[in-house]
Amino acid sequence: MKLKIILGSIAIVTILVFLAMNFLESKIEYGTITMAKEKGKLIQIKGACVQEKESFYDSKNNQFIFYMKDDEGQETKVIYDGAKPNNFELAEAVVVKGRYSEGVFHAKDILTKCPSKYEGNSEQIKKTL
Amino acid sequence: MHLAIYTFPMLGRSLIIFSFISILISATAYFISFRKKSDEHLQLARISFHGSAISVLVSSFLLLYFILTHQFQYAYVWNYSSTDLPLHLLISTFYAGQEGSFMLWTLYTTIIGIVLLGYSSRKGWEVEVMLVFNLILGFLLLMLVVKNPFAYIWDAFPEDLIHTGTLPQTGGNFVWLDEVKGIWAQYPTEGKGLNPLLQNYWMAIHPQILFFGFSSMSVPYIFAVAALLRKEYQAWISVAKPWTVFGTGILGLGIILGGYWAYETLGWGGYWGWDPVENSSLVPWLVGLASVHTMMSQRKMGSFVRTNFVLSILCFVLVLYSTFLTRSGVLGDTSVHSFVDPGMWAYWILLSVLTLFALLGFGLLFLRNKEMPKIPVEHSFLSREFAIFLGATLLSFTALFILVGTSSPIITTILSGKTSAIDISYYAKTSLPFGIGIALLMGFGQLLWWRNSQTSSLLKSLFAPSFVALVFTVAMIVVGVNDALILLFLFFSAFALAVNIIVGFRIIKGNPKYSGGAVAHIGMALMFIGFVASSRYDDKQTVSLEEGKTLSVLNNYQLTYLGYQLMEQEQYSFDIRVEKDGNTEIVSPVMYFSKFTNGLMRIPDILNQVMQDFYIAPVSLETPESKSKEEIHSFKKGEMKTIDGMKITFVDYDFSDEEKGKMVTKSREVQIGADFLVEMNGIIEHIKPLFQMVNGETKFIPANHSSGHRFTIRKMIPDKENKENSSIEISIAHTDSESNTPQKDVLIIEASVKPYINLVWLGTIMMMFGFLISVVRRLEEARS
Repeated sequence: MKLKIILGSIAIVTILVFLAMNFLESKIEYGTITMAKEKGKLIQIKGACVQEKESFYDSKNNQFIFYMKDDEGQETKVIYDGAKPNNFELAEAVVVKGRYSEGVFHAKDILTKCPSKYEGNSEQIKKTL
Repeated sequence: MHLAIYTFPMLGRSLIIFSFISILISATAYFISFRKKSDEHLQLARISFHGSAISVLVSSFLLLYFILTHQFQYAYVWNYSSTDLPLHLLISTFYAGQEGSFMLWTLYTTIIGIVLLGYSSRKGWEVEVMLVFNLILGFLLLMLVVKNPFAYIWDAFPEDLIHTGTLPQTGGNFVWLDEVKGIWAQYPTEGKGLNPLLQNYWMAIHPQILFFGFSSMSVPYIFAVAALLRKEYQAWISVAKPWTVFGTGILGLGIILGGYWAYETLGWGGYWGWDPVENSSLVPWLVGLASVHTMMSQRKMGSFVRTNFVLSILCFVLVLYSTFLTRSGVLGDTSVHSFVDPGMWAYWILLSVLTLFALLGFGLLFLRNKEMPKIPVEHSFLSREFAIFLGATLLSFTALFILVGTSSPIITTILSGKTSAIDISYYAKTSLPFGIGIALLMGFGQLLWWRNSQTSSLLKSLFAPSFVALVFTVAMIVVGVNDALILLFLFFSAFALAVNIIVGFRIIKGNPKYSGGAVAHIGMALMFIGFVASSRYDDKQTVSLEEGKTLSVLNNYQLTYLGYQLMEQEQYSFDIRVEKDGNTEIVSPVMYFSKFTNGLMRIPDILNQVMQDFYIAPVSLETPESKSKEEIHSFKKGEMKTIDGMKITFVDYDFSDEEKGKMVTKSREVQIGADFLVEMNGIIEHIKPLFQMVNGETKFIPANHSSGHRFTIRKMIPDKENKENSSIEISIAHTDSESNTPQKDVLIIEASVKPYINLVWLGTIMMMFGFLISVVRRLEEARS
C-alpha cells in the first residue's frame, strides 16, 4: 500500500514538473513594439493596421506586408509569411505573434479581432432603415 | 408595417421572466419536499416546472417566428439575419449571437429536463434530481433575463430611431411607442445579415449538436449532487451512466463536426487549431470520457466512489468554466472565436455561477466524504480496474494540461502581472506522452479481467496484436517516420486497434449489445493513426499558377489553372485541373469579396481520395501588369532624342488621317496620327502611332518598330495656330517576345496533401457508433 502511494506521488510530481516546464517554455508574452525591439524574442503584440501606409500581398514570396501601430503609438513594418487573413480589412485590432529583427517584425501568426456586432453604429442602422 | 406584434409589447421578455420566476418556485418547492421528506409540495413543484418549460418553448418559438418573419424591430433579429438568407441559414441565425446561443442552450436543457423529470420520477429520484436541475435551468434563464434576446432595436439606438411628432405613413417601418405623447420609432426594413463565414450548412448542424452536448453534460452533475443529497453513493451510478455515455458521445460528435467544418469550408487548413473555443469543449469531453470508464468500474466492482463524484461534478463545472472563458471576454485578444466583451453583468454572473455550482458540488462531497464507504482495494496491477484507473488518470491529466494552456492568459496575469499566451505547439507536445499511455491502455486494458488476470493467458493474448503492431511500426519506419515518440504512439495505436478488433469480433459473436466499448476503441485507435498521418506528415506548398500552364506540385500532382467562373451571389469559382497518375479531376476553390466583412473570403476545395486528401486553399488572383519596361517621353515638334539606341524625331502630327476618317464615317470617327522618324543602325523607319475617337470613345493604337519597341501616344498637345509649338507625350515600351501575347492571370494557391485523413473521419464514425451501442446497453441496464 505504501509503495503505491510513493509511486503515485512520484508520478504526479513528475507530471506536474513536466507541465510547469512545458508551460514556461511555450508561453509567449504580450508586449509592445518597444519590447520586441529590445528583447528580440518571440512576443505577441496587439495593435492596429496603419491605414495610410501600404499593405499588400507579395505573391512572389508569398508574404503579406503591412504596417502596424501598437497601443503605445509605436509603428513597425510587419511581414507575415502567408496570405492576407480573411477578416483583415474589417479588423479593428490585430494581434501579431513573432519576432523583431533587422527593422521588421516577422509575424508567424496574425489574429484579427473583429468589432463586436453589438457596437453596431448609427451608420449601420441608417443603411437598413 | 409589423404593428401587430407591438400590441403585445415585451411578450418574449415577459415569457422569459415568467420562466425564471416559475423555475425558482419549482426549485423552492422541491427543496421543501426534500427537507420535509413529504410529497405535499410536489404538485406545485411539477406544475411550476412545466409552466417554466412551456414558457421556454413558447419564447423559443417566438424568437424563431420573429426571425422567420424578419421582425427587425428586435435588435437580435436585425443584428444577425437578413431577408436574403435561405431557410436553413435563417433558422440558424437563432444561435448566431450570444443571446440566442444562451436561448438555444436553455431550450435544449429544458427539453432534457422534461425527459429527466419522467426518468427520475420512475427511478424515485425526482425530488433531488429536479431540485438540482432547476438550479441549472434557473442560471440559464437568469442569463437570458440579463442578455435579453427580445430587446427592441430603438432601445439600442434611441438617438437615431426615436422621434416625436406625427407618424410618417411611408418610407420605412414606423411604430408608435407612446401615441398620447406623440413618441414614435422607426425600425429597419433589412437586417445586417449573417457573417459569410457562418453561411454554410454546417452552421445549421454543428452548434446545435454542441449545445445539446453542453446541456447533456449537466446530467451527470445533477445525479452526482442528487446522490450526495440522498447519501446514496452506489445506486446513482447505474441511473446516471446512460446519460454520461450519451452526453459524452453527443459532445464528442459536436466537437468533431466543428473540426470537419473548419477543415472542409472555413479553410483553416486543418481540423483542429487548439483554439480556446475548441479546447474548452474538449476539456469537459475528456473528463466525461474518464468518467464513462470509472462509472463502469464502480458499477462492476463498487470502487471509484469518490472519483466518480469528482469527475461527474467536474463535467458540468468545466462546461461552465469553458462558457466563462469564451463568453466573458476574459481571454480578450487571444482567441479568434472569443466574443467581444459582453458587459460586466454577464462576466460576474458567469463567474459567480461557476463558483456557485463548483462550491455546491465539491462542498457537498467534502461534507459527505467521511461517511462514504471506503471500498478496500482487492485488485492487482493486472486487473481491468487498475487499467481503467490509469486511463482515467491520463485522460484527466490531458484535460488538465489543455485547461492550463487555454487559461494561460489568466494564469500568467495572476501570477506575474504580465499576460502571456501559450504557443500552440505546447498542446501537441504535451498531449503526445499521454496519448501514448492512453493508446497502450486502450489495448492492454481490454485484455485484462476484473480483479486479476491470469498471466499465462494474458501473454498468449498479447502475442498476435503485438506482432501486428510491430509489423506496422516497422513499415512506418520504412516509410520514413523517425521520431521515437511518434513511433511509440503508432505502435500502441496499432496494438490497440488489433486488440479491439480481435476482442470486438469475439463479443459480437456472443452478444453484439456488449460491443460498444470495443467498437469505440477501434474508432479511437484509427483516429490516433489518422491524427499522426494527416497532421504530422502533411505537406504543403504555395504555388503561383499561370492560366493554362501546367505545374507539378507535391509528389507529382499536375495542376493547371483553367480560369474562373461567376457563380451565384458574386462569388467566383476558380477551376483547377488536377492530374495524377492518369486521373483527371477539376477542383474549384471559391473566392469572393464580401461586403459584410469588407474583405476577401476564401473557400477551399478538396480532392478526396481513399489514401489522402488533396487540399487546395485559394490565396489570391494576380492580374499582372505588362512586364515590359515602359517609359514615357515628351517631344516637341522636330525634337530628336536617343532612346535605347534609337534616334527618334517627332516629325509632326498627321491630320490627314483625321480628314480621311471624317470623310469615311461622316464625322462619327476622328483619327489623328503622329509621325516619328526613327533611325537605328543606319536604317530609317517611319513609325505612326494613332489616336482614334469612335462614337465618343478614345483609343490609342500603338505602332511597333522593327526592333520590338512599341510606340503609344499618351497625350497630345497640338497647336494648330503655331504648328511649331506642338508637342506630344508617348510611351516607348520594349516588348520582348513573351509579352507580345496578352498577360495571363496568375492564381496563387496553397496546395496541401493530408495523408490518411479519412482514418480520422472513419474513426469518428466508429467511435460514435460505439457510443450508440453503449447508450442502448446502459439504458437497458438502468431499466432493469
